[in-house]
Amino acid sequence: MTLLDISELTLDLPNGKRLLDGISLTVADGETVGLVGESGSGKSLTARSVLGLLPSRATMGGSVQLLDQSVLGASRKQLLGLRRTRASMIFQDPRAGINPMRTVGDHLTETMRLCEGRSAADARAVAISLMEAVRLPRPEEHLHQYPHELSGGMLQRVMIAGALTSSPRLLICDEPTTALDVTTQAEIIGVLAEQRASRGMGMLFITHDLNLAAAICDRVYVMSAGRVEEQGDARQVFRNPQAAYTKRLVAATPTIVVARGSGASVDAGTDAAAPTISDAAVPATTVEAASASPSVAVPASEPMLSATGISKTYVRRGKEPVHAVIDASIEIPRGGALGVVGESGSGKSTFARMIVGLEQADAGDIRIAGRVRTSVPSSRVERLEHARSVQMVFQDPYLSLDPRITAGKAIEDAMRLHRRLSTTDARERVLELLEQVGLGDVHAQARPRTLSGGQRQRVALARALAIEPDVLVMDEATSALDVSVQAQVLSLVEEIRRERGLTVLFISHDLAVVRRLCDETVVMKTGEIVERGRTVELLGNPQHPYTRLLIDSVPRPEWNLEAVAAEASALDVERAPGGVGS
Amino acid sequence: MTTPTMAMKVLRAPRARRSSTTFLISVVFLGVVTLAAIFAPLIAPYPPNQVDLLNIQAGPSPAHWLGTDALGRDTLSRMMFGARTALLAPLLVVIFSTVVGILLGLLAGWRGGWIDSVLGRIFDVIFAFPALLLAIMAVALFGKGLVAPVVAMTIAYAPFVARLTRSLIASERSRPYVAAYRVQGFGGSFIALRRVLPNVMPIVGAQSTLNFGYVLAELAALSFLGLGVQAPMADWGAMVNEAQSGLIGGYFLPALVPAVAIVAVVVAVNVIGEELSDRIGGEIPA
Repeated sequence: MTLLDISELTLDLPNGKRLLDGISLTVADGETVGLVGESGSGKSLTARSVLGLLPSRATMGGSVQLLDQSVLGASRKQLLGLRRTRASMIFQDPRAGINPMRTVGDHLTETMRLCEGRSAADARAVAISLMEAVRLPRPEEHLHQYPHELSGGMLQRVMIAGALTSSPRLLICDEPTTALDVTTQAEIIGVLAEQRASRGMGMLFITHDLNLAAAICDRVYVMSAGRVEEQGDARQVFRNPQAAYTKRLVAATPTIVVARGSGASVDAGTDAAAPTISDAAVPATTVEAASASPSVAVPASEPMLSATGISKTYVRRGKEPVHAVIDASIEIPRGGALGVVGESGSGKSTFARMIVGLEQADAGDIRIAGRVRTSVPSSRVERLEHARSVQMVFQDPYLSLDPRITAGKAIEDAMRLHRRLSTTDARERVLELLEQVGLGDVHAQARPRTLSGGQRQRVALARALAIEPDVLVMDEATSALDVSVQAQVLSLVEEIRRERGLTVLFISHDLAVVRRLCDETVVMKTGEIVERGRTVELLGNPQHPYTRLLIDSVPRPEWNLEAVAAEASALDVERAPGGVGS
Repeated sequence: MTTPTMAMKVLRAPRARRSSTTFLISVVFLGVVTLAAIFAPLIAPYPPNQVDLLNIQAGPSPAHWLGTDALGRDTLSRMMFGARTALLAPLLVVIFSTVVGILLGLLAGWRGGWIDSVLGRIFDVIFAFPALLLAIMAVALFGKGLVAPVVAMTIAYAPFVARLTRSLIASERSRPYVAAYRVQGFGGSFIALRRVLPNVMPIVGAQSTLNFGYVLAELAALSFLGLGVQAPMADWGAMVNEAQSGLIGGYFLPALVPAVAIVAVVVAVNVIGEELSDRIGGEIPA
């Protein structure tokens, strides 16, 4: 039976902009339907339209039918009824979706008591059984806890339990795992799949991650710029995309599959990414090409970056000290690229911040291009030297650029801090750099606000390159970007590495991205490096159980959630509180 | 991966840029008052202290648009001259308190640690005293006139600016763009003064504009109490005071005109200040 039937849905803003253009989709009982697209594709809007959560001044067209009730043009009261009994929604960020001043128990029982008139004790009992259903470890205790006491993954479970209180026929999930670690994501997806199966609900699953959609959905709709580009069987769309847009999206989606039988077809479909992936498969050539570059004045034998025995402990008043990084050592040959992979709380960002000098290590030794860079620079000269030895590209391009300074000025400032240049020379150089990262004169005059995420990250990259550092640290530098933009930025970094012989330290939670860019990889877990090796070997033949868990948690078409869960419990993963992607 | 909140933010159509009528009226009104104050000697129909004993407590007439007071002085002329102290003194207080407040706030917010704690406690102590009380104490210590109250008001209002600056700077300091500047090798004072401070200035400026209204009202109160501007100099607060006795005799105008002027200017300044902070608030990236 068809639960949800959207046909020819359009949404126009008062300024004439059309955000949704003729969307048609259906969800049947017991079916999981994926809605895949990049930011701005209108996937969230489409989902919100089902519950009548739309911008107030928008003009709607077409029809949205939920069971026997039309949503568009429904009265407030009818909408309330729909939200109370027919459909619920799970949002992306559980921390933003749950009132921080109320306990988890309040959050769960409130609707049952107000909407269904259950008694407090009755509602409590239902809440506890729901919390058990979503596998929260201590339901009785959680009832009295506040959101800040729970990790991101646990909060998302609370959110799911909350959405299930009304026993909805349709569950809408809007990127429910995007803010979570990959192992937590696997657990949450497991809970969702289990609940859907046991309740026979329909599920509309919104995600930007094609792999994830292929892993859990029966059918998918691929959206772009307010239109449905392609629809069909989830795996079919993933393996054999028909629409040009889907083909590009599949190509841009990085994969961790290391040429093993099943992965071959995926790799074959990736025309844009194919040459670079083959590069990664034979990393030796890249390193050699880079070593041949004459610009680096370090003896070939010495590593460009070496960090030995780095430790960092945060002492908190009245609490257990946090060992953020414990005795971590890495080495990168010049022109090499090393990936540091770990989940939130693994200490990978702290490690990166120590290497660029934003934090001081408690113990250990950092050498860049043969010079010790462990201590705080004491003079202006030392500070500048330190800056020339290592630069960093930050995770969030929306926050790492000064909102008031234009892109060109930002790059120029960085450049002129380190070298005496006349204004005209500097301008020229800025343009060169911008062109190198695929931007132009227009962007030099633009403030960050008017640039897109990908453009901002290019500016940040150009700004780091302006100083001509020995080592470039990229801390989750592509994780805030859409897949297609991420693919562009990654190719750009690869290109610059090839041309300049740049040494790169790449911090990421995403194995697939690291696989694409890095020759070697280390895996961090709660402050310690648990495994290291060539990226291809590490992915193809992981030794440490945690590395295996990480790899198996990455969604893919043939995804065995039970196996992942078993692995996780075998490892008894104790993640640090938080659980939100750093 | 745009968060839903961001997606919704984009959807919200850009803020209507149409200025509200009240805002325009306020700007025009303040402009007129300011011009009248600046050019008072040129455009005032009479000298402010010209006594006309034959024409006391007169109602509005073509000769005296706003009537005369108990000594027959022209109310309109006195209003124009009175506007000079009524506007200049708060302006000075706002400028001084903003400068002092920003410097202290920057110091506390950027350096943090014990400096922040010590300054915070000092601000708390100053907050405990009403501004008017501080001003009265200053007058008691240093004598009547405008200098002592202006200094006292500056001390009373600087913590408001400092608190705001401190919290803005402190939150700005933890932003990745500041870390990015550090990684590039820029020094701390350059980042604080040349990069971070300009980013918070609009908000601080809007707050200072609002302070202007409060200071004006409090200085007028001081003059009304006879502690600020001294007779026979014209000042709005003092004029209300002088006209008190007339009220019993049914002569409202000499008290009403300056009182309404004070209220109108304060309201106008608040309208402008709120509109400014609204506009700026919309522009600051979250």
